[in-house]
Amino acid sequence: MSESVAIPLQHRPEPVRPKPLLSNGVLGMMIFIFTEVMIFAGFISAHAVVRSQAAGQMWPPFGQPRLPVQETALNTAALLVSGLVLVVAWFAFRKERSRARIPLLLSILLGAFFVYFQGLEWVALLGEGLTIQSSSYGGFFYLIVGAHAIHAVAALLALIWAGVRLNEGRLTRSELATVSAFWYFVVLVWPVLYIKVYL
Amino acid sequence: MMRASIVMLLLLAFPDAGHACAVCFDSSDENRLAFMATTAFLTLLPLGMVTGAGLWLRKRVRQVKLEENDPDLLDN
Repeated sequence: MSESVAIPLQHRPEPVRPKPLLSNGVLGMMIFIFTEVMIFAGFISAHAVVRSQAAGQMWPPFGQPRLPVQETALNTAALLVSGLVLVVAWFAFRKERSRARIPLLLSILLGAFFVYFQGLEWVALLGEGLTIQSSSYGGFFYLIVGAHAIHAVAALLALIWAGVRLNEGRLTRSELATVSAFWYFVVLVWPVLYIKVYL
Repeated sequence: MMRASIVMLLLLAFPDAGHACAVCFDSSDENRLAFMATTAFLTLLPLGMVTGAGLWLRKRVRQVKLEENDPDLLDN
């Protein structure tokens, strides 16, 4: 009769866990971004079809106010610079965490400028009579730009949260990557929306 | 019965143009083009994203394996 040798629990080797390919936060954010990309793709497609059906190919429709193309171009530039500054913040964070403070703050300020300016633009357009019910032109404008604005505000709040944690010295690399991915989505989807809706 | 079902499925895979369909027939070329372009866009976009994610994951797997073999390559 053979005797089995029991290894005490405390001497058993720890199972080797493979290094994760990406953090849970980044993975979750990527899945979220995929779904959001499809939402915006649906909006853009519906907009393209309705625009192609416009009477006499006239877009914007007769009697509807024109969108502020040049002013929004400036705002678009601010948003793109915000994304670039966040890239700088990421590399600074990898070298020395405290170095990321200024670029992260700058990115937040540029993002806040974008959101504030968009709000001013909405107030002006509402004053000129462009509402969500005034025409399909107005409806699509508020739907698409409004959906982006909701994302911009949420991503901005996430950036502020990251900034607070960075100040407290508690921000992890994974958290910054997750929040940055959200902001990059907001930044990169905007030029597409600008070209389709404003031009 | 099985053969008939397969033939029926194959026939259904090649539909004729629908005369009441706004995509197949429309007085406006722009409208038809918009329908076709957005159909292609919405079909290819998710496929492109999934392919992109797959390629990125493959690259990441290689990178992680390289880092495990040579810890000096680990970026901090």
